[in-house]
This record gives sequence, structure tokens and C-alpha cells, in this order.
Amino acid sequence: MTGLVDERRTNVLMVTDSLAVGGAEQVAVDLANTLDRDTYRIRFCATRAGGPLAARLADDVETIVLNRPTTWDVGGLLRFARLVNSTGTDIIHSHGRGTLRFVALARVLGLIRAKHVFHDHFGWLNLDRNAGLDLRVALQRGTDAYLGVDSRLCSWAVDTAGMDPRMTFLVRSGVDLSRFEAVEPIDLRERFRLRDDQVLMIMLANIRHPKDHPTLLRAVAELPVDLQDRLKVVVVGATGVDPAYQAGCEAMIVRLGIERCIEIYGRSEQPAGLLAAADAAVLSSKNETGPLVVLEYMASGLPFVATDTGEITHAVRGLGAGFVPPPRDHHALADALAALLRLTPEERAAMGQRGRELAESVFDQHLVTRGVEQIYELTLGLRDATDLVLPEALGSTTDARPRPVPA
Amino acid sequence: MARIDASPDPLPRDDPPPGPVDLTVVLCTFNGAPWLPDLLGSIAGQTRPPDELVVFDDASDDASVAIVEAFAATVPFEVRVQVNDVRLGSTRNFAAALAESRGRVIALADQDDLWYSHKLALLLWEFDRDPTISMVFSDADLIDESGQELGRRLWDTRLIGRTLRRHAVVPEDLFARRALTTGCTMAVRRRVIDAALPFPDLLDDPRAVMRHDRWLSLVAAAVGTVRALPDPLLGFRVHTAQETGVLVGSQLPRAMWSAARKVGRSTAAPAEHRVRAAQLQAAAARAELVGDFHEAATLRTIAEHQSQRALVGTPGHGPLAVLRSAAHGRYRGDPLSVLAAGADVARSLSPLHRRGDTAAANAAAAADEVAAS
Repeated sequence: MTGLVDERRTNVLMVTDSLAVGGAEQVAVDLANTLDRDTYRIRFCATRAGGPLAARLADDVETIVLNRPTTWDVGGLLRFARLVNSTGTDIIHSHGRGTLRFVALARVLGLIRAKHVFHDHFGWLNLDRNAGLDLRVALQRGTDAYLGVDSRLCSWAVDTAGMDPRMTFLVRSGVDLSRFEAVEPIDLRERFRLRDDQVLMIMLANIRHPKDHPTLLRAVAELPVDLQDRLKVVVVGATGVDPAYQAGCEAMIVRLGIERCIEIYGRSEQPAGLLAAADAAVLSSKNETGPLVVLEYMASGLPFVATDTGEITHAVRGLGAGFVPPPRDHHALADALAALLRLTPEERAAMGQRGRELAESVFDQHLVTRGVEQIYELTLGLRDATDLVLPEALGSTTDARPRPVPA
Repeated sequence: MARIDASPDPLPRDDPPPGPVDLTVVLCTFNGAPWLPDLLGSIAGQTRPPDELVVFDDASDDASVAIVEAFAATVPFEVRVQVNDVRLGSTRNFAAALAESRGRVIALADQDDLWYSHKLALLLWEFDRDPTISMVFSDADLIDESGQELGRRLWDTRLIGRTLRRHAVVPEDLFARRALTTGCTMAVRRRVIDAALPFPDLLDDPRAVMRHDRWLSLVAAAVGTVRALPDPLLGFRVHTAQETGVLVGSQLPRAMWSAARKVGRSTAAPAEHRVRAAQLQAAAARAELVGDFHEAATLRTIAEHQSQRALVGTPGHGPLAVLRSAAHGRYRGDPLSVLAAGADVARSLSPLHRRGDTAAANAAAAADEVAAS
């Protein structure tokens, strides 16, 4: 470990389970890369394992991998406490509930005293909105500020887990726009021998059941034949991770007779290049809290059809950047696909441009990070809550829940 | 948070307006004249009234139809009334009424309840707030025949209050194991109706009747997310003539004692488990049809567990097999599931079941599978 205590700047320790490719890890890396260098000294701790995202971290971010083998590994906990204390860490910014428990335990045991900001990316809200004793204790006694990527998560934190609403913030994810600029397109039109009038639509999603490919397949099957003839959907993402699901999808493609409209591309290390080659994008997820990929579609200037499952789609619904039908509704998804296919190339380009403008004006990672920095200052007592001027991607949700009418 | 500004530029419209019928209430009536005026008045008094009310009367002998028709003339929303020629029973009647509904969201009503004025507004708010939700159901206050509150909640009288208050969203395996919902507290999205209709015939199997509300819940959980709202949104009337009753006062412990005494003495349990298994297989088939393969697999696993429970007491399915199954987590860990496992152990030790004919049981199970498919 090379880092010494930096007394001039605020020492931030970004903490994740690993540096494998994933939504929470990507957000942590993007935040670490964009925090203001004059104010913050940044370290990155992966408590379990490293991974490919380490290569995306800025050169000045020191990376530490603790290799803790189990959730309650005592040795790992002590190594973590030593790291926090020896580097004079002021703020620990943890991502993911496993990491939350780990950091909060160190805090509750009195091993560390640094302020703890927890960033919740929990993506299984459709199955689980409980808060067990471990989570309640971790949040109420081991956490100073809660950042939820979805307003439903923020409601859960306050209503179910007992988090202080004054320290609970909606932080929609941001996107590093530079990753989508000056990208060399990968020529998919040639590869799939597409005609000029065919619309090439990308879906960036691993072949796993939360992505709900069957609803997309049923929607494509419901399109009029002339629109089917003009559509090629290329599914880009890891295959073989859920073999039974994948087999079901492949059987469905045959059963619905839409083989000519769908291509399974498989995993790609160059998603930006594929997006640059596409005319539009689609996402049919049944449940997401982000989803980050919609920001990537917008950053690429692509018009999109994305099911209304997370905070990003909720935020851009009705703003002219894409079509946002309800999830698991193949009729509505088919209507949205048809509407997009019926746009002229100029209209599609205008929609894509609107998405890019929204990505720049609202979801640019630098804007999101400036808001997170304000929350750090609030947590450290350097700023008053009344002085918060959060950007559009951050804030709190209003609760207009209907109430009983007094008799 | 502040709404992100809309573009001032003319851009293609991306948020089509809702259809003319956004919210439907489906009501099934049968000789409900004494209570219908209260219910209909409470529907008319909603802060967010329905866009249509679909009423299917199951050949009532009283003034139910006349009351509904008179009501229709006084409200600003459309009321469509259908009177059955022959009596269908409540589950089939609801199936027919649901098929006639047109709303994006459909709320179910029972003829004898009293809705609180914010019921529909809150149910709709939950759907609009979270597009992943396929069904919302609430708790209810119990009221007596005259409409006076009894000071108890519906969920508690069914011994499901603690479970549901811990589950803001209810996982499908809970629905697969137990009846948790009452139709009059529910609202569902259109896609649930599309997946649930037509109701399979085996719902009416007298060995294990599955009512419309349980079937809808099962399908809703398989094709979406189900939200349990602990708010009481209606007065649930307790009276002697109702079809779905609740146990209040001393009735509850008496019923539990009676059930406990039957454990090990009943010979109906195997058939009931076989029918349940077939019903779960039917729900799994619906989920699979729409591509919810993962959810279908969960239902099939529980259906298989029910099939195994049907064999309890036959050779190879003694108490050790039950305990092994429990150790593998097939009974879940909640108190009622522990009771179920205990009942199966008792059944496996009962002489009545140990005399059971395995071949006959297997044949019956096979017949049920065929019926389900």
C-alpha cells in the first residue's frame, strides 16, 4: 500500500465486493474516476476479488484487493479496518448490500470511525422488499447516508429499514460520455447482410430471465409482416449463463417463426462499437432499478424502446428520447416497436439526438458526481442540508400517496 | 424530485394516452339486495371513480339486478349488467365478468362490502408508481351486518397478518402454498387477466376447490410482482350468508382444534394434494406460455412437492421422507409450514394411510396430471 494520509484533501475509500463487470461496480468506478482531484484523494477497495474493471480506473486511484473468502471473515475485517485507519479515510462509499454489511459491521464493532455512505443498487425489488434485522442494524447504526439508485429503494430505506429520511437520497446513475465518443462502429449491416431499409436494433442484455427476452420475441411476432421485414434485432450479451432459459427463448423464436428478425450475437467486449453501428436499441427487462444500459443507448445517440422498469426510464418517459412501454406487456412493446419502425430516418435521428442531449444535461457522470460530493460534505458536517443544490439526476421523491378522506 | 424538463421541440410522441377505459370494477352478485346499496354507494363515492363497472348477476332471486340498474342511471361512469341464465357459482361468474372487462387495471368487488373512499385511488397509485407490479391487494377491517367495525383485521383472522406485513411484495412460492388473498381486496393489471383466462376446469375439483382470487394471485405472481398493502381499504362484512367467511371470536380456536384432531385421521389429504399439484402445474403452464420460464420452474417444483405429499404414508414415504423433505427446505420455514410438515409426519404414522394402496395413488396422480395438461 503506497498511500499515506493526505491531510490536505478528503480521503475517500470506494468499496465494492469485486471489480467484475457489473452495474454497481461500474458506478463505483465511474464515481472514483470523476471525483474532484483537488478536493478528494481516492482509493478503491475490492473486498473479495479484483476483476477487469480495475483497468478502467484512473491511474491515480490506488486499488486494494482484500481477498476475504467469506461474508464474516474476521481476518478480512481486520485488514479492512487497518486500511481505513492507516490511510486516514474520511468517507467510505460502499456499493451493494454485501459490502454494506461488511463495512457496517466494522463500524458497529468500533473498528473504524470513518463516515459511511452506502450506495444501494439492489435489483430484486420485484421479489424482496423486506428488511431483516441485519440490514436494519447496518443501516441505522452503521451508515451515515443512504444513496438509492431508484426511488422505490429510497422508500424502502425509510419506510422499511428505518433510515433517516434527511440522509436518504435518490441518486440516479450517470454515464461516462467519453466512452461513447469517437467510437469506431462495428459493421453489423455487412455481417448480417441487411438491406438499406432494414432497421438494425441492438439489445444489450445477457441471456438471463430478468431481461425477459420472451416478451420481446412475442412483441416481434405480433408486428405486421411488413414491419417484421424491416427489423433486425441483434441480442448482445453473455450466453450460456442460464441454459434452460436460453433454450426456452430459442424454442420460442422457432415456434413464433421470427428467425429472420432475431440474431443472437453473444458477448462483446466492444458494446460501444456495436451501439455506434445500430439504428436503434431495445430493452425488454421485467425488473431493473437502473438500468444503466438505457443511459448507454442515450449516450450513443440511439432512439430506444425500453420497458419502464427503473429510475432511468421513469425519468425520461415522455421526453422524446425513446418509447417506454410497461414491462411484461408484449402488446405494448409491439406498439412501441411499431411506432419506432414507422419513424423516418430523420425522426429517428432527432429522437436519438434528444437522448444524447438528456445524457449530457442530466446524466453526465460529472454532474452526478458533483451532487455526490455535496452529500459527502453534508455527511462530514461541512455543509448544511439547506445549502444542498443537487443536480437533476439526484434528489428525493415526493410522496403523493392517496390518503383516507376525513369523515 | 423536480421533473426533468420536457423538450420544447416538436418530437415524435412517445407516451400514448391511456385508452378510454383505464380502471374497471368487476362485481359479481347473487341475492345481495340487502347489502348492494351500501357497496354501490361506496363505489360511487370513490375519490377516483372507476371508468366502468361490470356486473354479472348469477341468477339472483331477489332485487339485486333492479338495484344495480337503478344505480346505473345515477352515476357518470358506464355500468354494464349481465344476468346469467343458469347459476355458474362465484368462480365461474367472475371468470365470465373478467372476460368482459376492458380496463388497464381491474379491481374486484364483493357485493356485501363497504369500500373506503380512497381505495381505488390508492390501488391505482401503486400500479402507476411501479410498472413492474401486476397485482395489489390490501387488508380490510371486519364489520358486522349493520356496518359497525368489529375491531379486527381480515389478515389477522386468516393467520396471515404477520407474514404479509413482512412481505411488501409477496413471492410466488407463498401463493403456491397458501391462499393469501380475498378477491374484494385485489386489483390486477390487464396482463394478469390475459394470462389467467380461461380458468382451468380443475379449479372446481371438489377435492381441492381453488377460488378465482387464489388462481388470479397465483398467475399474477408468476407473470409479475404482487404488492401486499397493509392498509385496510374496505369494511369486510361478516354475516351468516356470505360465501367466503372469516373466523371471529371463539370460532378460530375451535376451528384450529378441529383441524388438529383431524390430522392423521383424514383420508382426503392425498387427493387434495394431487389436485393442488395439478392446479399448480396448470399455473406453471400459463407462465411458460408467456415466456416466464423461471417462474414456471418454481411452480413446478412446488407442484412436485405437493405430489410427494400426496404419497405420504405409502411405502417409501414415511416420516423420515417427510423430515428429509423438510430439511431440504420444501416446506418453507414459517409456522404454518412447520405445522404442515408436522401434519404430514402424523399422517405418515397413521394406520389409515399406511394401509394406502401406492399403485392406486399413483394411478390417481397420473389421472390428475392428464387433467391438468
